[in-house]
Amino acid sequence: MGYELVNLLGGLLIVTSTAVVVTRSIRIAIRWYAVQSLVLVGLLAALGVTTGAHELLTWAASAFGTKVVLVPLILSCTYKKMGRPADATIERVKPAWTIVLIAVEVAVCFAVVSQIKLPTAEIAVPALAISFAHFFVGLSCIITQQNIMKQMFGYCLMENGSHVTLALLAPTAPEIVEVGIATDAIFAVIIMSIVVYKIWNETQSLDASDLTDLKG
Amino acid sequence: MDTSTLLLALVACPLALSVLIGALPKTAPRAVFELAHLVSAAAVLAGALALALPVFAGGGEIWALDPWFHVDALGALFVLIIGVIGFCIAVYSVGLVRQLVDAGAYGPAQVKVYYGFFSLFLFTMLLAATTNNIIIMWAAIEATTLASALLVALRRTKHALEATWKYIMVCTAGVAFGLFGTLLVYANAADVITDPHMAAFLSGVLPEASRLDPMVVRLAFAFILIGFGTKAELFPMHTWMPDTLSEAPGSISALLSGVVLKCSMLVIIRFDMLATASIGPGFPQLLMVILGACSIAFGALALFAQTDIKRKLAYSSVENAGVIMFCLGVGGPVGIAAALLHAIFHGFAKSLCFLLTENVEHAFGTRDLTLVKGIVERAPVTAGLMVVGFLALAGFPPFAVFISEFLTFAAALAAGAPWWLTLLVALALTVAISGLTRVVLTSVFGKTMHDAVDTERRESTPWMIVPEIALAIGLVWFGVALPAPVRSGVENAVGVVLGAGTDGLHTSPLPSIVFGAADPTSEVE
Repeated sequence: MGYELVNLLGGLLIVTSTAVVVTRSIRIAIRWYAVQSLVLVGLLAALGVTTGAHELLTWAASAFGTKVVLVPLILSCTYKKMGRPADATIERVKPAWTIVLIAVEVAVCFAVVSQIKLPTAEIAVPALAISFAHFFVGLSCIITQQNIMKQMFGYCLMENGSHVTLALLAPTAPEIVEVGIATDAIFAVIIMSIVVYKIWNETQSLDASDLTDLKG
Repeated sequence: MDTSTLLLALVACPLALSVLIGALPKTAPRAVFELAHLVSAAAVLAGALALALPVFAGGGEIWALDPWFHVDALGALFVLIIGVIGFCIAVYSVGLVRQLVDAGAYGPAQVKVYYGFFSLFLFTMLLAATTNNIIIMWAAIEATTLASALLVALRRTKHALEATWKYIMVCTAGVAFGLFGTLLVYANAADVITDPHMAAFLSGVLPEASRLDPMVVRLAFAFILIGFGTKAELFPMHTWMPDTLSEAPGSISALLSGVVLKCSMLVIIRFDMLATASIGPGFPQLLMVILGACSIAFGALALFAQTDIKRKLAYSSVENAGVIMFCLGVGGPVGIAAALLHAIFHGFAKSLCFLLTENVEHAFGTRDLTLVKGIVERAPVTAGLMVVGFLALAGFPPFAVFISEFLTFAAALAAGAPWWLTLLVALALTVAISGLTRVVLTSVFGKTMHDAVDTERRESTPWMIVPEIALAIGLVWFGVALPAPVRSGVENAVGVVLGAGTDGLHTSPLPSIVFGAADPTSEVE
């Protein structure tokens, strides 16, 4: 029953991450991200109860503070500070194709995870596959979205994917490890928000195609 | 102070000073920021020397908060790179920041951000080089990106912000692959090693690496190579690098290319040790040779085509990261020694060259090499240093890089690498030599352009010139007579990587020129 709940919440993670990617409004995408983080907290708690790893309950509590409250707050403040820019709806790939891409990523990750001989992989294949897929959904979001705030969401999704993988593969990892990763993520969001705000101040645009002067 | 306390103090000092600088009001006198900044860098230099030299001499190890921090000869080598090059760049930074303030490019807020994040940057690099925990190691490499991102953006231009954005997005996304690889190793280790609580520690996993699942190790190593290879500026994950290194202040480009690149290489070497102990050298070496050769070829061709001096140096970093990776892939004592020596020498040469780009920009107001002609007339000291820096980078004797590139080919021959691959590397390096030598011939000694109205001499300040001279002296010194502590340090580090003896460094004819021939009497005995 425990792992079934974990797998179910894993499925919900993909649904909410798809919503974050395809939603055109930044304001609503922030809300979807908060919902997704709540699902993540539930998953960590369910996994903690199922495996008896009390560390995961602490992770769930800290993830609630950082991912459900703090990150959405930082994103909202940045967006408000910029005066809710109107051009925050640009995308390189249509939502329908994005959904197809996410489905392919889940399928590929499912196939790969089935080949891995790890205890967790044998018990919670769907959840582990989804955590891998979640990482690639985030990566796709960075590549397919032209709005730099949406690209930030891509990073946040990747980070959530890593977090779930860490919880599934290393539920008894020392708490300081989780704290290290979570601190990195928070600082990353803060630094990215500062840079996004500076870019907005300089160019009055959040369109990544306006950031192509350099040759790469 | 015992060595464990010294190790903790070394890591904590730049963090504490970064916090201190952050706590100071931005209206505080600039001298206060400079003092805190210099104290931080000097403490790192002193700590690195005090820690590394005994390890080099005795071949021992230092532990702190066992098992969280661990410095062996390999780690000590990279700690020393951070300490020495970091200190030179820190001193140079004082001159550069003053120059930028005078030019109106930096205000009090930028000065505070620069010095605060510089120390934080040093802390993250030291953490990566000294931690024994593989997940903290990843977090430290990720933190190097975060600590340096705002330093790249400091010029407040659209281009600087564009470069910063690419830097953050590509590096955080890329390094996340490294986290996945790390987690796979951890999860597998927690399942199979005797003490699962040691699964996150290199010292816990390495002795029992043969029990890891081969499929998981292959997948993890591929992820790790992509992840940390992004930060190590390897092709094809290098896309952030030319823009970032060209738009960041020269001092930060020097740190990114001269030091951070090496920290990422250290992480790759650590996981290579793990993978080799688990599945043998075949798979990791194959990936590293391919990645190394491709990086050398791409970097050399790209650098040849650049006209912006910083972009040229940026692509040269891809090429040199490729040389280190190629040497690691070739393997054996000579290959590993070549990789480690190249990491040190390239650190010195690339840092010097990136620092000099600011001198050039100060003298000519541009980085465009088609407009920069006759540096020798306008800034003769800078010109002399550029000759040393660029010829050293190109691998000319008597400069140090010549030794490591010479050993690269010795290693390839000793390991029986395919002749066509060695030839490809040699051709690519020739292209790189040509591209770098052209800078010396046309920009340093070329005729000043006739339509140049401004011919005023503009040498940079002693704060900038003196650390550049120190780096140049290092390149000549290491090239002419490699100091015994460095030589024994590299040899001990090779022993750590191979987990075996280093006789090959003394018995093979070419490496023995650098490391000394084996004593024939010891064999008789």
